[in-house]
Amino acid sequence: MTKLAMLNSRAVLIGLAAALALAGAVEAKTFRTNIRADPAMMDPITYSEIVAGDVLDNIYEGFSEVADDGSIVPALATKWEASADNKTWRFTLRRGVKFHSGREFTAKDVKFTMETLMTPGMKGGLTTTYLKKIVGADALQKGETKELAGVKIVDPYTVDINLVEADVLFPIYPFYFMDAAIPAEHGADWWSKASAGTGPFKFVHWKRGVEIKLDAHKDYWGGAPTIDGVQFLIVPSGDTVLSMYDAGALDFSFLPELAMRRALKDPRYAKELISVPRAQSRYMGMNQNLYAPFKDKRVREAISAALDRDAMIKGLFNDAGFPLHGVITPGVAGYNPNIAKVGFDPARAKKLLAEAGYPDGKGMPPLEISNPPDFKDEITYYANQLKRVLGIDVKVVTVERATFIKAMNAGEVPFFPWGWTAGYPDANYYLSQMWHSKSPYNRARYSNGQYDALIDKAQTVADPPARFKLYHEAEKILMDDWATIPLPIPAQVALRKPNVKNVTMTSYGYSSFHKIEIQ
Amino acid sequence: MLTYAMRRLLGLVPVLAVAVVLTFIAIQAIPGDPILIMLSDQSADKALAARLRAEYGLDLPLWQQFLNYIRGVATGDFGKSFRFVGVPVIDVIKDALMISPVLALAATALAVPVGVIVGVFAALRRNSWADTTVILVLIAGISIPNFALSAFLVFIFAVKLGIVPVAGWGTLEQAVLPVTILAVPPAAYIARLSRTYMLEVLQQDYIRTARAKGLSRRLVVYRHALRNTLVPLLTTIGIIFGGLLSAAFVVETIFNIPGLGRMAIQAIFSRDYPVTMAIVLLFTAFYALINLLVDVLYGVIDPRIRLGGGPT
Repeated sequence: MTKLAMLNSRAVLIGLAAALALAGAVEAKTFRTNIRADPAMMDPITYSEIVAGDVLDNIYEGFSEVADDGSIVPALATKWEASADNKTWRFTLRRGVKFHSGREFTAKDVKFTMETLMTPGMKGGLTTTYLKKIVGADALQKGETKELAGVKIVDPYTVDINLVEADVLFPIYPFYFMDAAIPAEHGADWWSKASAGTGPFKFVHWKRGVEIKLDAHKDYWGGAPTIDGVQFLIVPSGDTVLSMYDAGALDFSFLPELAMRRALKDPRYAKELISVPRAQSRYMGMNQNLYAPFKDKRVREAISAALDRDAMIKGLFNDAGFPLHGVITPGVAGYNPNIAKVGFDPARAKKLLAEAGYPDGKGMPPLEISNPPDFKDEITYYANQLKRVLGIDVKVVTVERATFIKAMNAGEVPFFPWGWTAGYPDANYYLSQMWHSKSPYNRARYSNGQYDALIDKAQTVADPPARFKLYHEAEKILMDDWATIPLPIPAQVALRKPNVKNVTMTSYGYSSFHKIEIQ
Repeated sequence: MLTYAMRRLLGLVPVLAVAVVLTFIAIQAIPGDPILIMLSDQSADKALAARLRAEYGLDLPLWQQFLNYIRGVATGDFGKSFRFVGVPVIDVIKDALMISPVLALAATALAVPVGVIVGVFAALRRNSWADTTVILVLIAGISIPNFALSAFLVFIFAVKLGIVPVAGWGTLEQAVLPVTILAVPPAAYIARLSRTYMLEVLQQDYIRTARAKGLSRRLVVYRHALRNTLVPLLTTIGIIFGGLLSAAFVVETIFNIPGLGRMAIQAIFSRDYPVTMAIVLLFTAFYALINLLVDVLYGVIDPRIRLGGGPT
């Protein structure tokens, strides 16, 4: 090699190094995290799945949003007021909100989003459920009209929503309002080409099986994000997630189940670990119509007192769990921090069962505990514990998932643990769907007029603190009656690198990425 | 030659037809209603369930579903994914389509020369300590499961030394570890075979003749012996390729490579039957095609095989 060539190659190398360093500096401003699978969709209309929600939450916004502590704060609406009968809601929209396209967000976009969700053929997803009470929803869904009569644009910054029946939760429903002009500009698969939200980040691309890339929205109404963008890497394997985190390829990792257990045991992660209870109420269903001894409150309480929740969290959940003492999970609006604790008391459990006429489990008709195969360990624990503490013989049965869900919905399963994940950020979701006698998801078929009345009443109280008081009363009725046996709830566990600030885990998943700082 | 290849290609049709029918039957035999799983927490919404059932054609009688499926497969339409609601299967898998075959080919391309060289090396030093060492390493290479080897190599080279990325797909560096790990068992297998074949060939009369002529050892080994070793090796490549396709399931998952193997695992766990069926069919097709290719090549290399009359 001649001297000149060597010099040249050295210059090239230096240039390359500089370019790499520069690229590195730029890349460092991208927040890298993992999702466990490709999202099922990437548009706010057909949206109906949890992974999609993790991504869409940063691109789209609704009237309100959930703060890290679970409380509801204004987002695209600055104010909302209900009429006296709670059937009309007036939303005052935030001024000066810019879509990713640069257009201004106004009342027409609210109307457009709601109408699109309800239009036949648009395959409206999860959020469609929240619109069913709007005046004219039926007619639109049946294709009789093209407009949603109950949504009235008063002026560009004011919109009235008329409902056929009172719904005090309307302002907290997690809507994703979209830019009304986008579909006309980009066609049916607009979501792959354009970003139609107002959120702190805009959609750039989705490489199936690889990543989803978002860029900062510089004109975000809450201020431009300090990071340049977000990269959601699609990583199904938990072990790979941990290796990538260890090698510095992820700034924040939301851990899948097995990886979570490894991370909780490993002391080197202690300082980077975040663990919060998931917004999933778990319970033991006892159907009193199907198994006579369950009619006796003492039997129900005995079963609860026979379960050692601390041992379960340690053994069965490998510490990735939290105790639950009622129906409402911590981190969800309406949670009662002062609720009476439910504990393990084998002596009391034995005594109660004897009082009910089944000393040491004698005389109990045959009992089966059932669940899909994934929960076999857990139901085996219950069967074993009930045998050990109470002398009850419980048969463990596993049933294919879809068949099991069908049987539960039909009220045909006598004894089963199950969970219910909050679909919107208010405890009403749990209370009304799991235990109200009219709900199709009251899978234990519990029925209590007093409880139903309290929930019905709560649904007319718009003021959150007043409503939460009714929730607490209703929850106490369930607990005093041992209608439900609260079971430990799973943790959501994440690892965060020390140089990453202002991002955490909440009961619902990621916190907002808006204010993330990478040092 | 061409007629032979054409005839073998036609022979694939019944193989694929059987695969299509078997996958359809297997999916029907699995218990559970995919629509109910799809609905998750809205499982009591009967109207939505009916709408989805109709959209997927699951409300039709089974024979009609079967006919629709056959018609679809024949025209390259594998239906719609259950997990990616409403998205055609072909859109779900199209980006992943070529990754597993490319991985398998790359691993084969690495395994064959390495295996042959190691095998010949050992054969020429039969019963020496070098030979014994090689045999031990080969046994380890065949028996260590790829997930264990992956975990070990990732920890050393990616996490500790940081010279290659932990996972991903798209750059050459990202391909180094997965291709190496995929190549280890077939390389070991090929090495064992080529050692055996080489030893066998070295005892043939024509080798003795060549030596007697005074040819150099190098020339004897590489011109005469090696050539004759390669012919039987070729037949094993088809089998090796099949093994690589299944190993890709594990390696793609560990190295987060968005290929068909990783996708198949995800599809199975999320009960995405249409995607699973499509991947099973594609793997069958890849496997059948590579075996066809090997048979044709076999004919090319070994002039004793009469092409017109088929392999017998």
